[in-house]
Amino acid sequence: MAQAVINGLLIGGIYALVSIGVTLIFGVVKIVNFAQGEFVMIGMYISFFLGAQFGIDPVVSLLVSMPVLFFAGVLVQHFLIRRVLGLNDLPQIFLTFALSLLILNLSLMLFSANYRTLHTSYSDDAFHLGGLYVPVAKLIAFAVAMVLSGMLWVFLRTTDLGKAMRAASQNREVAQLMGINPNRVFAVALGIALALAGAAGSLLMPFYPAYPMVGQVFVLMAFVAVVLGTLGNVIGALIASLLMGIAESLGIQFIGADSGLIVVFLLLLTTLAVRPSGLAGGGRR
Amino acid sequence: MKCSKAVASSATQNRRRSLLKAAGSAVAAGALGPYVLRGWAADPVNIGALYPSTGSMAQIGQGCVAAAKLAIEMVNHAGGIKSLGGAKLNLILSDVQSDTTVTRTETERLISGNKLSAIHGCYASALTLIASEVAERAKVPIITGSSSDQLNKGRKYTFTPFARASQFARAQLQMAKLVGDKPKVAVIFENTAFGTSTSNGLKELAPAEGVEIVMFEPYSAGFTDASPLINKVKASGANALFSVSYLNDLILIIRTVKQVGLNVAINGGSGGFVIPDFYKNVGKLADGLLGVAHWNHDVSEDAQRVNAEYKKRSGEFLFEYAGGLVAQTFMLADALERAASTDPQKVRDALAALDVSKGYAAMAPGGRVKFGPDGKNIYGHPVGVQWQNGDLASVFPKEDAHAPLMKI
Repeated sequence: MAQAVINGLLIGGIYALVSIGVTLIFGVVKIVNFAQGEFVMIGMYISFFLGAQFGIDPVVSLLVSMPVLFFAGVLVQHFLIRRVLGLNDLPQIFLTFALSLLILNLSLMLFSANYRTLHTSYSDDAFHLGGLYVPVAKLIAFAVAMVLSGMLWVFLRTTDLGKAMRAASQNREVAQLMGINPNRVFAVALGIALALAGAAGSLLMPFYPAYPMVGQVFVLMAFVAVVLGTLGNVIGALIASLLMGIAESLGIQFIGADSGLIVVFLLLLTTLAVRPSGLAGGGRR
Repeated sequence: MKCSKAVASSATQNRRRSLLKAAGSAVAAGALGPYVLRGWAADPVNIGALYPSTGSMAQIGQGCVAAAKLAIEMVNHAGGIKSLGGAKLNLILSDVQSDTTVTRTETERLISGNKLSAIHGCYASALTLIASEVAERAKVPIITGSSSDQLNKGRKYTFTPFARASQFARAQLQMAKLVGDKPKVAVIFENTAFGTSTSNGLKELAPAEGVEIVMFEPYSAGFTDASPLINKVKASGANALFSVSYLNDLILIIRTVKQVGLNVAINGGSGGFVIPDFYKNVGKLADGLLGVAHWNHDVSEDAQRVNAEYKKRSGEFLFEYAGGLVAQTFMLADALERAASTDPQKVRDALAALDVSKGYAAMAPGGRVKFGPDGKNIYGHPVGVQWQNGDLASVFPKEDAHAPLMKI
């Protein structure tokens, strides 16, 4: 039981990085980014190649994957998303969906469908504490994920840009009236969201194989977490992700290894039935 | 595909042209040597080869093509088919593009467009089944390493010198006894048609093989975390783990078993991980992983020799299917030698009477090939393999084992 909770919490940290990105983009730019998983995949490949070619530890290569993806986010906002913002929902959905398919197929072409793993000194290590074990690589990933989430929270609370971002997410028109430049705020939001996806990718690399379709595995969980934690709510997404990791792990342990997701979706449905707008239900943003 | 075929046939033409030129100059010089006579007398023997060198199976298909070329070269270098005046084998390649429809049309085209004595192919059972149907109708013998038992039902021109799919599960269960006299096996399998049917096969055979299954659990393919599943394996007290999985799940499972510090032998069955690429991608993590194959490069001294040559050319060891098809080419050469004819019917009859226990044609687990009436090698059985420091070593059964079991 305790072991199942540990496992769930650790993988929940990774879900959190992906879902915070999705919820940030939705909250600020009001667009659903279906390509978020593909950016996780890019982060993984960046860390894989840096690790395989130059022996750089994936946790260190975070310093490369995050800026690269931040920049990619700014470009995506500037050249793609900005063009469809005034339009209705459909072009926005198709845009990020097309982006997802494009990146997926490009990487199939460039990297082939092979599974690539990176072996670090701590990949197979674990702390053993009285019958329980904590894998080192996942613990590092979890810790870094929590630090990054905390840094984002502080950024949103204390900096002018962060406050502007929250303002834009609460009411775009009023924010614009207050002199906030939406394009700049949106570009930074996209950049941060994609940088988080890149971080998730780098942190996954020591214990998860990279392959072009890998993003799809994580993006489903991210979307569930975003809805569960109330759309656009960063803290909600974080808590929901951790809860989902635990729910999945308990489901596998006590119901069956093919039913992990059943528990996750049961959790989602029950929450939505009781609190239709998610756990954070229209409270603070 | 057209390209590769054109290359093969133009090479033949070049060879013919140079032979003719040699003959012409010899006549002009007034010295009709025996070499020239032989050049005139021996028409090459056409062997068709159907492999998926493009599409999803391209990587393995291209390895097969390289091995097919190597095998033909070896036969020709040793003097060709002596009963046909030293006739050389001529390989006619055709790309079946990893696609069943293309396989049908390509097989038909290959047979109708060329005077073939025999065919080999196609790696994937789904493709071979179709090629075999076409070959049966055209009465051209086909020899294959594909493992589907379907290939041995009501066919007269199809020959399968290696272990059948139905034999793999039994071998896997027997391998569990390598870890102890009383193996306790945990079977985990992805909840798909492939996973369910394979694991049910294991479950049915287990009591007869004296193997206790202590855990039998489906999981959803493509999971993010194997730890809860491995926790359950740990709790079951198993000392062997059969994982019926695709590669990404298998990698996670192996890694998690190491992290938990669980002492179990992992057997991935006849999954697609017995190719050099697997180790290249997965690395040291693969060491210790067990599996079942129909061929391995250490089954005999001859196989090791071919492997050394293949390695020199491609830099990689000769993998299961490619090695098997080198042996198949020599089986065809043996049949042609005895048939003393290029007629496909006579080659078929000679194949049916094949009985080899030495040389390159006998490179198979067990070291002997003799076909039963269903085209199945009556001595055929799988070999248990294990990844050991980047190489794939045969560890089971005892008579085929070339390395002790590596403990992990």
